[in-house]
Amino acid sequence: MTFNPSVLLIILLGIGFPMAFTQSITANVVVCVLALLYLMLHHANLKTIGLVTLISLPLALGTGWSFIAFGTGDVWLQAWLQVSRLFAYLFLGMSLTLTTPVKDMLMSFVLHLHLSPTFAYGLLAAFNLLPRIQRQVKTIRYSANLRGMTYHLWQPQLYFKAILSAIQWSDDLAQGMASHGFSEGFPRTMTYQDTLPKWQWLVAGILIIGYVGMSFFI
Amino acid sequence: MTKLAIENFSFRYRDSGPDELSQITWTPAAGSFNLLIGASGSGKSTLLKAMTGLLPQFGGTVTSGEITLDDLPIATVAPFERAKRVALLFQNPNRQFAMATPLEQITFALENIQAPAADIPHQVDEALATIGITALANQNLITLSGGEKQKVALATILALGSDYILLDEPFANVDPHARHELMHLLKQLQMHHGKTIIVADHDFSGYPDLIDTVYQLVDHQLTQTDASVLSANTGVDPLFPAPSRNALSPLALDDVSIDMAGRPLIESATFALPAGQLGLLSGVNGSGKSTLFAAITHQRPYRGLLHWDGQDSQKIKMKRWAQTVGLVFQDAMDQFVALTVADELALSQKHTRLPDYWTTARIEQTLDQLNLTPHTEANVYQLSGGQQKKLQVLSMLIMSQPVLLLDEPLAGLDTVSMQHVLDLIQTSIQANHISALMISHQRIGLADYVDYEIHLQGHHLIMGGAQ
Repeated sequence: MTFNPSVLLIILLGIGFPMAFTQSITANVVVCVLALLYLMLHHANLKTIGLVTLISLPLALGTGWSFIAFGTGDVWLQAWLQVSRLFAYLFLGMSLTLTTPVKDMLMSFVLHLHLSPTFAYGLLAAFNLLPRIQRQVKTIRYSANLRGMTYHLWQPQLYFKAILSAIQWSDDLAQGMASHGFSEGFPRTMTYQDTLPKWQWLVAGILIIGYVGMSFFI
Repeated sequence: MTKLAIENFSFRYRDSGPDELSQITWTPAAGSFNLLIGASGSGKSTLLKAMTGLLPQFGGTVTSGEITLDDLPIATVAPFERAKRVALLFQNPNRQFAMATPLEQITFALENIQAPAADIPHQVDEALATIGITALANQNLITLSGGEKQKVALATILALGSDYILLDEPFANVDPHARHELMHLLKQLQMHHGKTIIVADHDFSGYPDLIDTVYQLVDHQLTQTDASVLSANTGVDPLFPAPSRNALSPLALDDVSIDMAGRPLIESATFALPAGQLGLLSGVNGSGKSTLFAAITHQRPYRGLLHWDGQDSQKIKMKRWAQTVGLVFQDAMDQFVALTVADELALSQKHTRLPDYWTTARIEQTLDQLNLTPHTEANVYQLSGGQQKKLQVLSMLIMSQPVLLLDEPLAGLDTVSMQHVLDLIQTSIQANHISALMISHQRIGLADYVDYEIHLQGHHLIMGGAQ
């Protein structure tokens, strides 16, 4: 079963919002398990999942520890709640981003969720610019070296210059898009087509209501 | 057939001041091949962008007249209607694509002009096949060479069906072989598809056999000229001798080869830089001059050995290497690290290798010579192109790395400024025994300054100017 990216997004938001208030560890664990199952079913990259989990492990430990050390009341329950919440958010997010290419995601939002094409293509172009931005950051660091200075990755000067370059590029890109006929506010053909059977919305509704029910009444 | 007409058109970027284009009237003949020439900064790009409606949409003001597309002012025509009639191929092939692959980019363009969804795959295939790049359809655009990117841009324009194809120095980042191929593709589009072609270019080689008319922008005005100006421009350039083999600097290349996009760009380059002299590195666009600089400065990989004082330079840490070999970037924006002229120079003075030579008094005197004194508090990003070049060269000369590589330091400079910059380079490298190597397309006026020439041709370094 493959959810349409738009349905997945609604499920993400529908579960993610009440998750900020819920006190149910069980509900969070169920979300983690279901999201992980969905990821397995779609052959998501296990290495990426492992890496993301590994990187967030110290953050989860830190959050948990701070509740144990400084919390009041049932500190262990609070700690486990925070840790399970963090991983539930993480796996929910991955169930969309690791199963759907950025382009399909944005096009689906345009098609079903009324996302503006200008926004979608702007974002898509920005994604396609990422390798070039990496190269520009390298040039900026080299230009500092030439003047006897070192820009470290945490220094704002580095990003100030990178932003200046990005502004220049965004103007060039806007001109390139306009010269290839992209017109804001006019209709355009969509060759991207996907299937969104009505039952997917039904499943989304059941999942969201199920989560809310589980987290507040169990 | 579409009609594109320019009537008494004047345009400027700033709110006030002189026009960049003044009273231009031109109706390109339908189905003709036109070459647009003029010095850098003469307004060729501005004119082409105005003809596609990108200006004043993306800045500037029309001060008189208008440009019409099928008798409608072009500014009132929506971009997707314009693109079907007149399209522009940009100078920098990296900055015109929004999508990741040629297939996606052409599909995107066809969606914009509201082509029926069912026809799009076929139209994409046809455009790719006409340009001969079917094999590239699903490759990531970032991995393509400059020439291949321009072919993708051309295929996109072809798919849009534009009657007018405008090209703004389309071969500046393209190797000579691809340039030749692209020029003949354009000729075929004119002959067999009835397109009107307008190309702006600095390098006239190959054009006399292809074009119908030549237009020239001088003093912001457009005139039709004789094709003989294309040949008159060659043969007056001075040639320089081979580099001397005595008094060498510690920098030497030993059998250095560089690949570009999987193909060899430079093969077995071997030479040592003479000390205290200014050399010229020449060669056509795309021959690999800037790439050679990138290898010497350790900004890109190469094969072979780059020695410093007999030692493999790769053993030297980047930070120290940047203090050994200096680079004046082709794009001034890449050079600056501070916000104002004064800060930029203060930074160089603080870190200079030769604080006794670059005293405050000398820097102030040099600023005066370069006519930069009134701008010391100015923002470096708001200086004119020429002022930026002067500041860029001065700040690197103050750093005084033992070797200095200069990538087009004279581009966009008028004759007087060029002399000042060359005087400055000559004085400071001779006084401090700095070895300098300069890339310049401009040769006229270099006779009194350049000591030797290295010519890059057919993947090889040739010592001495080519005949």
